[in-house]
Amino acid sequence: MTLFEEEKRTIRERLGREPSKEEWSVLDAVWSEHCSYKSSKFFLRSLPSTGERVVMGIEDWQDAGAVDIGDGYALVLKVESHNHPSAIDPFNGAATGVGGIIRDIISKGAYPIALLDMIRIGELNKERNRWLLRNIIKGIGFYGNSVGVPVVGGELSFDSTYDDNPLIDIACLGVVKKDRIVPSVVTEPGLSLVLTGLTGIDGLGGASFASRKLSGEDEIGAVQIADPFAGKINIDSTLEIATKVEAIKDLGGGGLAVAVTEMANGLGAVVELDKVPLRVKGMRPEDIMISETQERMLFAVKPELVDEICEPFFRDKYPCTVIGRTTEDHMIRFIYEGKEIVTLPSEFLLTPPRFVWDFSYEDKPNSEDLPQLTEGVIRRLLSHPDVTSKEWAYSQFDYEVGTSTVIKPGEADAAVILLPNGKYLAIKGDANPDLCASDPYECGKMIFAEAYRNLATVGGKGIVAVDHLQFGDPRKPKVYGAFIEAIRGISEASKVFDVPIVGGKVSFYNENKDGKPIKHTPLIVMAGLLEREPIRPSVKSGQVLVHIGIARNEMDGTLASRVLGFRGRLQRARLHEDLLSSEVVMKLRYPFIKDISRGGLLTAIFPIIVKGYGVKLNLESIESDNKNDLVRMLSEGSGRFIVATQDPEKVIQSASSRGIVAKVIGEVNDESYTLHLREKYDLSKEAEKFVKYLEEMLNVP
Amino acid sequence: MEGKKIAVLKFPGTTCELDVVKALREAGGNPQVVRHDRFDPDEFDSVVLPGGFSYGDYLTAGAIASSSEAMRGVKEMSDEGKVVLGICNGFQILVWSGLLEGALLENINRRFVSKWVFVKVIDDGTPLTKGLKGRVLRLPIAHAEGRYYHERLERVKPILIYSSERGDVSEEYNPNGSVMNIASVSNEAGNVIGMMPHPERASFSNISPFGNPDGLLILRGIVK
Repeated sequence: MTLFEEEKRTIRERLGREPSKEEWSVLDAVWSEHCSYKSSKFFLRSLPSTGERVVMGIEDWQDAGAVDIGDGYALVLKVESHNHPSAIDPFNGAATGVGGIIRDIISKGAYPIALLDMIRIGELNKERNRWLLRNIIKGIGFYGNSVGVPVVGGELSFDSTYDDNPLIDIACLGVVKKDRIVPSVVTEPGLSLVLTGLTGIDGLGGASFASRKLSGEDEIGAVQIADPFAGKINIDSTLEIATKVEAIKDLGGGGLAVAVTEMANGLGAVVELDKVPLRVKGMRPEDIMISETQERMLFAVKPELVDEICEPFFRDKYPCTVIGRTTEDHMIRFIYEGKEIVTLPSEFLLTPPRFVWDFSYEDKPNSEDLPQLTEGVIRRLLSHPDVTSKEWAYSQFDYEVGTSTVIKPGEADAAVILLPNGKYLAIKGDANPDLCASDPYECGKMIFAEAYRNLATVGGKGIVAVDHLQFGDPRKPKVYGAFIEAIRGISEASKVFDVPIVGGKVSFYNENKDGKPIKHTPLIVMAGLLEREPIRPSVKSGQVLVHIGIARNEMDGTLASRVLGFRGRLQRARLHEDLLSSEVVMKLRYPFIKDISRGGLLTAIFPIIVKGYGVKLNLESIESDNKNDLVRMLSEGSGRFIVATQDPEKVIQSASSRGIVAKVIGEVNDESYTLHLREKYDLSKEAEKFVKYLEEMLNVP
Repeated sequence: MEGKKIAVLKFPGTTCELDVVKALREAGGNPQVVRHDRFDPDEFDSVVLPGGFSYGDYLTAGAIASSSEAMRGVKEMSDEGKVVLGICNGFQILVWSGLLEGALLENINRRFVSKWVFVKVIDDGTPLTKGLKGRVLRLPIAHAEGRYYHERLERVKPILIYSSERGDVSEEYNPNGSVMNIASVSNEAGNVIGMMPHPERASFSNISPFGNPDGLLILRGIVK
């Protein structure tokens, strides 16, 4: 049980009695951090969630938010992690992460069209991390491929902070006719509660498990088992009947206890646990209530429609059972063998105590001494695993299913998919744990800005975002302080870009075995519409390279500062520069546009070299507040892009009309695999490593 | 709708039925998704078994679907000389049901592989490859069990083989370890064809990474 002593006292006082053991189980699940956001809700309110396009935002969002994408369609999106289960059973943890997020989308009646996976893991020199990564990728593929939802993009990066606690974030996008979005809550008594699927003993106490740090003891029972075939039947049948039901909820964290309580939304409900179809005999009633077995949905249905609702499930021999009904007495009741074992007021369950913990901020002294940009530094940076090709991972995903993936994984800074209304949508997820470790406020702004820039590189203009806030134990003041600061940064950026946040998730208690928190890892997933036909990235010899923006001497939190072990001044996001320079590039019609982020200008031009071209740069022409070559080549920061073009004047003019600096800094040539700065470097070894690194590290059966 | 009536057969776990329908329409056909338990072979001129994970592929890919009642109907159509096309999981089902010879084993690298490949047309004696002999097509594959194998190679009738962009055939261009680089085979009569690459995913120029809807060249053969 994860309830605090203070909460137990509150429960006894407000009920005026000692709860039964089954009631304690329900309260532990419903009031878990994972389900109730008790430590975070206070601050989450500050996230901007309204806007012209918002169809379903924070006030009324239950399972996922939605925005208008025109022609009567809405886009539904959501991001979630499966960190704790994946640390213990990476295959099932990652696979059920995919299943769970897809069910959130279909519970709105939306057809799932794309997945993104953002994975952070320890470095691959450790066998355990290789084992984790192999199985995480296999698990995502196993589920996503089997149910036919393409994984169209993502991130894969490495840091020892995630050795014990990898982060597996999965986002799903779906589309639905705007006027057919299904609610997750009921408004009337007398509806039948229909449960699909079998309930088993896997995933017992999962929500409570996710609401504390990993103990290192045997926790395998808290991991759900993935069954994508059952998932596929559940998805297809749910979408078939979605317009005929009053409400849909998927069974996620906290199982039936949470689904019923949240669906009743203050009304009453009565559930007969004997009617729940079980996968194994002899389950205790409290286990039936909190089991998180996958592939189950809860529908609120007009009684006369129950047969019609269950027909498609029965057709594929899938359990579909009436287990109870909604009532008007505002009580949640669970009955087992004729005895009422849980009788708790709905309102009481829905209003857990909120906590605001002590918080403090970390001040880190910064040094101004920078290393020099040497050949060794260039080779080290370009050999970093974060920079290498991720083909080993995405080639295990069926990214073409759906015949709508336009810009494929690995092709550009954002994926582009074709929507059913014929429009194009760009999507991307971004995090920056190194910057968050230095300053979570600047980091919150920066990741939002980066996502916005990423979409701009393929011609997309951000319209909606969801966030996922991953931190250590919120009761540790420095962790909680960082959490509050990250939200402040995200919130400000959301306002500046006018991109509302329509949903999100919080994951606390991400720590290593010694109780050390991970680097704070808030994450943004953003979607944007394209104003033109997408252009597939490509590059040609003879093109000129134009640099947009300013390379500032702010190196703290960069990839270079981590790899080379120095700090420098703190990076600061300059959101208006991001906004203006993004406007410049999203209107261009050039096939090679990249934003400058992790690894700076060096890693931004590296994809050109990897394709077999040479790049020659004139370092002096890079606009910078510092003459150090390291700053020019490796600083990250806001508002920057690199464009390969035959027509540099047009880019420069368009930028200057917005007050943005843009300069020609070099060219693409035929001198294969070379980078010419002050000297010429042959980078064929690094290019080879770029292609083969993951394959060689992980392709040992 | 004009044109031949094509059944696109859906088993529980099939994932590509709507993509195939979309592509067959693009090719000028008159396709219709039919659930395996509602399938009447007499209503259709030809049938496509699309990709996916029929019955979750929980034994071996395609094994459970191959013994379904619907496959008897597919066999009838094959016996009548109607065109039967199995794509990916559909190919696996055709092999398991005995409509095509050989076996599809786990990829040699033991992983699911999703990528764009080149295939060379080496037999134009089928309705789908008529007039295409020698052409090199660019199509995507996405499968975990696509390594074609047959003990008696003299009995195999390869239609498409994995190659380079110029049509060179060597192990280097073999994405899954198939014997003889085989990507597609047909039966002796040429009316039953199984292929691992997905022509439906290469039927639209805006989603093809190279702008060429090569998949249509194949699919047009079934709608004509």
